[in-house]
Amino acid sequence: MKDLDTHLIAAHADQDGALLTALYTKAANQSDDADTQCFFLTQAYVFALEAGLPEASPLKAQLISAGRDLPTET
Amino acid sequence: MIDQTNLHAVRRPIDHANGLSNAHYTDDGIYLEERDSLVFENWAGLGVEAEVPDTGDTKPVTFMGLPLMLLRDKSGVVRVFQNICRHRGMILVDAPRNIEGAIRCPYHSWCYSTEGKLVSTPHVGGPGHNTSEGIDRSTLGLIEVRSHIWLGVVWINVSGTAPAFEDANAELLARWAEFDKPAYHGGADSSFALTVNCNWKLAVENYCESYHLPWVHPGLNSYSKLEDHYNILEPGHFSGQGTYVYRQLKGDNDTVFPDFDGLGDKWNEGAEYIAAYPNVLLGVHRDHTYAIILTPEGPGKTTEHVHIFYAAPNTDEDLRKRNAAQWKEVFEEDIFVAEGMQRGRNALGFDGGRFSPVMDTATHMFHDWVAGCLLTTRTRGEAAE
Repeated sequence: MKDLDTHLIAAHADQDGALLTALYTKAANQSDDADTQCFFLTQAYVFALEAGLPEASPLKAQLISAGRDLPTET
Repeated sequence: MIDQTNLHAVRRPIDHANGLSNAHYTDDGIYLEERDSLVFENWAGLGVEAEVPDTGDTKPVTFMGLPLMLLRDKSGVVRVFQNICRHRGMILVDAPRNIEGAIRCPYHSWCYSTEGKLVSTPHVGGPGHNTSEGIDRSTLGLIEVRSHIWLGVVWINVSGTAPAFEDANAELLARWAEFDKPAYHGGADSSFALTVNCNWKLAVENYCESYHLPWVHPGLNSYSKLEDHYNILEPGHFSGQGTYVYRQLKGDNDTVFPDFDGLGDKWNEGAEYIAAYPNVLLGVHRDHTYAIILTPEGPGKTTEHVHIFYAAPNTDEDLRKRNAAQWKEVFEEDIFVAEGMQRGRNALGFDGGRFSPVMDTATHMFHDWVAGCLLTTRTRGEAAE
């Protein structure tokens, strides 16, 4: 996890949305706790959303199915 | 201070009217009053559509203190939003950039679509909980400012109370209907900005009239004499001047810019220069138009943003550069009078000055419009008290 933290800090410094999405998704996948997992999924989703990445949709779907978000109104 | 601004003297017939008094050029309180009454309640120029050419492009613009952003949404529509997050009022966009997906607030990462909808509220209900009772995203979109595109200019009505743009500017749209067709911004070489130490109204006043041309622009006098000009007057809306002797710029081998399609004979050698109240100075010619958007930056400082448009894309670069340089020279020649009048507004006992009943009709019409708007809003304010 420490290595992941280091990568995350660097990705934040570089404002690299794609890498942030990937690293936060990895952090979520490494977590057993639902709250922690959803925290990281949320982080991943927000950076994917900002960058317009296709990962945004499945991440959002995961959060909705976990009861942590609502569908986006169109 | 307001009692010192004798607006009724301004509204008298021109032959015995006074101009606006000094305070209208120097006083912070009146500057704000005029911001609200003249600029925010009408259709004002904010920028040009070409500043956000691609979908997702956004540019922050501070307009008379108001933090705004120009944005071209994913469907290509240019919109204007207040540049703040609905959460804690944080500035969202601090530099021009392209929004690839969503606008993310840099503070707590609330996210907005390019259409202004609030689409994500991360952790708003606690870590990993992205909804919360009472936070209804559908009611918390970006605050959109009413906007309209005409002649390449993005016009905004901040108060939201003005008539529709087409109604508010019906006379001008009719007058220049022949120019209501695609125009192409000349690009980086066709825009420049001049910062002038004057109140924004002085730039309007100087632009309206041709009286100063032989004195301030002697270079024009060789072919465009004072008697070749006429006044343009539309009370309550716009004023300016026209010329009968516009000469096209010519390049090597007598090349010229292409004409706008379908223009009448009037425009063969005619050109018109109109101040569209409050803050947009426009010029139309057979082969190019321009817009000067005045951005007031306080009672005594104004930035003039100049943009030149052509009838076709990909016009001759050298000719475009010469045209921009020519206009820049003319507009720079006006700076000393605008700044001189501004410094003069610190004189004691100045009564606002007088107008030539023949040569200053367009300038007086602008003063009359200013006074009329202020009297209307002051009367409205008194009635509400």
